[in-house]
Amino acid sequence: MNIEQNLQKAEQILAPWNKETTHPELNRLDASLAAENLRPAVTALHAARWGYLSAITGLDLGAESGQMEALYHFCSGPAITTLRVRLPRTGEATLPTIEDIIPPATFFERELHEMLGFKIAGAKSNDRLFISDDWPEDVYPLREDFNIEQATPVEGRHADETPEVGMVGENKFVIPIGPQHPALKEPGHFEFTVDGEVVTGARMRLGYAHRGIEKAAESRNWIQNLYLFERICGICSHTHAYAYSLGVEKLAQVEVPARAQAIRELVAGLERIHSHLLWLGVTAHEAGFDTLFMYSWRDRETVMNLLEQLTGNRVNYSANLLGGVKADVGPEQAKAIKEGLNFLETRIRHYLEVVTTDTMFLNRTRGIGTISYEEAEEFGLLGPTARASGLLRDVRVEAPYGAYHQFPISGVTETNGDLEARCVVRLKELLVSCFALRTILDNLPEGPLTVRMPRKVPAGETVSRVEAPRGELFYYIKSNGGEHPARVHIRTPSLCNWVSVLEKAVGRQLADVPMLIAGMDPCFSCNDRLVTTVGRTGERQTWSWKQLRQHGIEYYKR
Amino acid sequence: MNINNNQLWVKVIKKVRAWARLNSIWAVHFNSGSCNGCDIEILATLTPRYDVERFGIKLEGSPRHADILIVTGPVTRQARERLLRTYEQMPEPKFVVSVGSCSVSGGVFHGCYNVGGSVDEVIPVDVFIPGCPPRPEAIIDGIIQLLTHLKDGNPRPARKEQIIERGVA
Repeated sequence: MNIEQNLQKAEQILAPWNKETTHPELNRLDASLAAENLRPAVTALHAARWGYLSAITGLDLGAESGQMEALYHFCSGPAITTLRVRLPRTGEATLPTIEDIIPPATFFERELHEMLGFKIAGAKSNDRLFISDDWPEDVYPLREDFNIEQATPVEGRHADETPEVGMVGENKFVIPIGPQHPALKEPGHFEFTVDGEVVTGARMRLGYAHRGIEKAAESRNWIQNLYLFERICGICSHTHAYAYSLGVEKLAQVEVPARAQAIRELVAGLERIHSHLLWLGVTAHEAGFDTLFMYSWRDRETVMNLLEQLTGNRVNYSANLLGGVKADVGPEQAKAIKEGLNFLETRIRHYLEVVTTDTMFLNRTRGIGTISYEEAEEFGLLGPTARASGLLRDVRVEAPYGAYHQFPISGVTETNGDLEARCVVRLKELLVSCFALRTILDNLPEGPLTVRMPRKVPAGETVSRVEAPRGELFYYIKSNGGEHPARVHIRTPSLCNWVSVLEKAVGRQLADVPMLIAGMDPCFSCNDRLVTTVGRTGERQTWSWKQLRQHGIEYYKR
Repeated sequence: MNINNNQLWVKVIKKVRAWARLNSIWAVHFNSGSCNGCDIEILATLTPRYDVERFGIKLEGSPRHADILIVTGPVTRQARERLLRTYEQMPEPKFVVSVGSCSVSGGVFHGCYNVGGSVDEVIPVDVFIPGCPPRPEAIIDGIIQLLTHLKDGNPRPARKEQIIERGVA
């Protein structure tokens, strides 16, 4: 089905509730709805299996218009349908919840509430997810008139309040994990309810690394933002800059030279290799397989060298410019990259053999955290976590962008959906990447690296989606025609994949939790101190993450 | 008991402790809102290419067993209390290494509504390692500078204010 037919189908589905339809871009359909029609419209789209809910963007249209807008973006291949709901800015701007229809919407709705002050009617949880615990009520950082003085800490409330720990009901115990992780990465906080050894409930708290980048972007100019967004995540910094530049270039109607596009794909491919090898090491570490951890990180240094040769930086590469790329690939670099790829390919094949044959590792991965195709679809999973369940969610394949038209990628899927499948998918993906990178190097188009970009970007809004190593990265960019963006909304893939941990931990042994968390490759990991009961006596014992990890290893020795 | 610092056995014990500390530095890593860039570089310094374990440096999960606190990232509002708590849990003598431009000054996130600023506004910092992110070599250099100071018998390296007063930074 081509894009137009697909959008027509969406229009037909939405026809009963649709107030106004516009086509802002070839692949986009905007349908304005009244708030009370939101639930039936979402139900209809969901029932017709039209795409998946990719993100919910909130906009403050300013005091003059006195309105706010919530944008529900559904993506199906390259086609995007946006349901727009306008509500008054003052008083009760209430949206009905859709989390019972689409589970991952929980996180998006929390974000809408905390950042812009939409009330979500019928939401199960009202816990804070992003902003700090001492943040005053009724102050919303993404409102246009927000200033920092409004956000003075509330008396009597602490940031990072001590979580509820202890017995809840008979034989139930809450275990807090987080937010400090001994090994690496960003902080987060979980509370698992356990009955003895078995997890019976899970809750999550983000926001330890919440910096307020979306707000900051509104006060920085288009070029400064490129470097700000690179620093959203140090692991997939290129994909953030890539998605942002794609969006801005679309708004400015600038055509990027073919060579620059190819180099962007090249850097993205190398970044994927570094990210997946990093993940493999971390997962192996959580499983108690430190040899694999050390080996994969040793080999990862090869990619880091290549990235440094290419761009001058090991981590935040800054390869992108608005309108092109900064770094060229010379014949010597091409040769070095190919040699590096040859070495990496043999290593990746070796790791593929290890993760599928090593008995100890298989004990920790095979049949654990299994997610079926239907569940993956229902939870709205993205990236390798979805592909391990046979659900091909890959923007590079579904909706090719940039150089992926010229150098296509074949999608990799597995069917088992367990942790083993997630390992295999990621490693096979690297083999595909290696192949694609060689093709790019052999057929690198000639031509300039950059084109001129206007300082001011014409008014308009656009959506750009890029496949990050962890899944689809979603950028919504709105311009008022000025030197600064009016709004940038970013939805990172990890936010969607959390559901897989929270749902799958329930009913599993506590010993599996570290692996489950590592298995989705969270773009932040967590923990510190655990309190758990031994048996059903209610006796307390404090555990560190290290002990929990050790417990997991010991448990599977039996 | 009155301990005279000039007694021989006190001197010997001090020397032995300094020697032991210098050769087995245990570090705890705290992310106070960083982008992961510094964190993966810290991890890279532990893995075979850079291998800080050859200096006896080991990453330890619990702050109660650690000598050095390695902090990355600007201090976010939610993480601030946790950073203080982690610091307070560490036994004396304790040292703080702040890694990355964000933790030194707030970096690109300076002025964001949820970011407090630099780490030294919350806890005293001994070594600043700038860079976005600093290379593993720079991180090793920073830690070795700390060790050298300890070896020379200085209780602490110069603080940021002192450096600024001297007009170096």
